Amino acid sequence: MAQPATKAPVSLGADHKALIVHRLRRVHREPGADHKHPVNQAHYEDSTLSERLADRVAAVIGSWPFIIAQSFLMVVWVYLNVWAIFIAHWDPYPFILLNLVLSFQATYAGPIVLLAGNRQSQKDRITLEHAADESDKGEQHITKILVEIKKNTELTLQILRELEAEPS
Amino acid sequence: MASEGSVPTARQRVARQHKHPVNQLFHDEATVGERVADKAASGIGSWWFLAIQSVFIAIWIVINSIEFFTHKWDVYPFILLNLAFTIQAAFTGPVLLLSGNRQAQKDRLRLEHTAEVAETAEKSTLEILEEIERNTEATLKVLEHLKKRRGAKGGAQA
Repeated sequence: MAQPATKAPVSLGADHKALIVHRLRRVHREPGADHKHPVNQAHYEDSTLSERLADRVAAVIGSWPFIIAQSFLMVVWVYLNVWAIFIAHWDPYPFILLNLVLSFQATYAGPIVLLAGNRQSQKDRITLEHAADESDKGEQHITKILVEIKKNTELTLQILRELEAEPS
Repeated sequence: MASEGSVPTARQRVARQHKHPVNQLFHDEATVGERVADKAASGIGSWWFLAIQSVFIAIWIVINSIEFFTHKWDVYPFILLNLAFTIQAAFTGPVLLLSGNRQAQKDRLRLEHTAEVAETAEKSTLEILEEIERNTEATLKVLEHLKKRRGAKGGAQA
C-alpha cells in the first residue's frame, strides 16, 4: 500500500507579511481592486455610485493634504485681514466671515462622518452574516468528520470482537 | 499582567507584542502621517482633552465677563471664542474621517487575511475527512479479510 503523503502544517510565512504590507500600501492608490474576501468584494467592488462618492469624499476630507490646506488657508485669511496693506480687509477681527465658512465646513463634515460610519457598520453587519454562514459550513464539515470517525470506531470494534471470538 | 488564559486588554496588548499579523503590520508599518493621525485621534478622543478644553473655556469666559479682570479681549457674546470652537470643530471632522479611513483600511486587510486563513483551514479539514475515509476503507477491508478467514476456518472445523 502506498504511503500517504505527509504535509507540513500550512502556516502563513514571511511572504504573507509582505503581501499584507503590499495591500496596505496599494489600497491608498487604487481602492476596489481584486479582493479575496467576499465581504470586501461586495463592499468595494459592487458598491453603488452614491456609495463610491461617499467613500471618495470621506477619503478626501479625511486626509493630511486637506487638513494642511485648510490650516494654510486659515492662516492666509487671518494674515490678509490683519496685516495686508495692498488689499481691503474684507473680514476684520474677530473674523466673523471666517467663522461662517468654517461652520459651513463643520456642518457638512458631521453628516459625512456619519455617512462613512454607516457604511462601515453596514459592512460590519454583512461581515458577521458571512461569518455565520462560514461557521455553519465548518460545523457541517466537523459533523461529517465525526460521523466518519464513529463509523471507523464501529468497524474497529467489530474487528476486536472477531479477534476475541477466535480460538487462540 | 493578565493571568493565564484570560484575554489581555488593549492596553496590555499595546505594551506587548501584537499577535495578529494585521495588528502587527498596522502598528509596525505605519508611516509618519499615519502615526500622527493615530495620536491625534486618540488625543482628541480622550477625557483629558475634554477636561482641558472645558477648563480653557471656563477661564476664557470668566476673564472676559467679570469686572475684576481689566484685560478683556473677547467680551460678551464671545465672538472670538465662537471662532475658536468652530476651528476646533473644523479640524475634528477631518481628523475623525482620517482615523475612520484608517480603521476601514484595517478592516479591509483583516478580512483579506481572514479569507486566506479560512481557505487554509478548510483545506486542512477536508484533508482530515479524506484521511479518515481512507482509514475507514482500510479497516473495512481488514474486517472482511478476518471474516473470510474465520469462515474458512469454521467450515474446516464443521
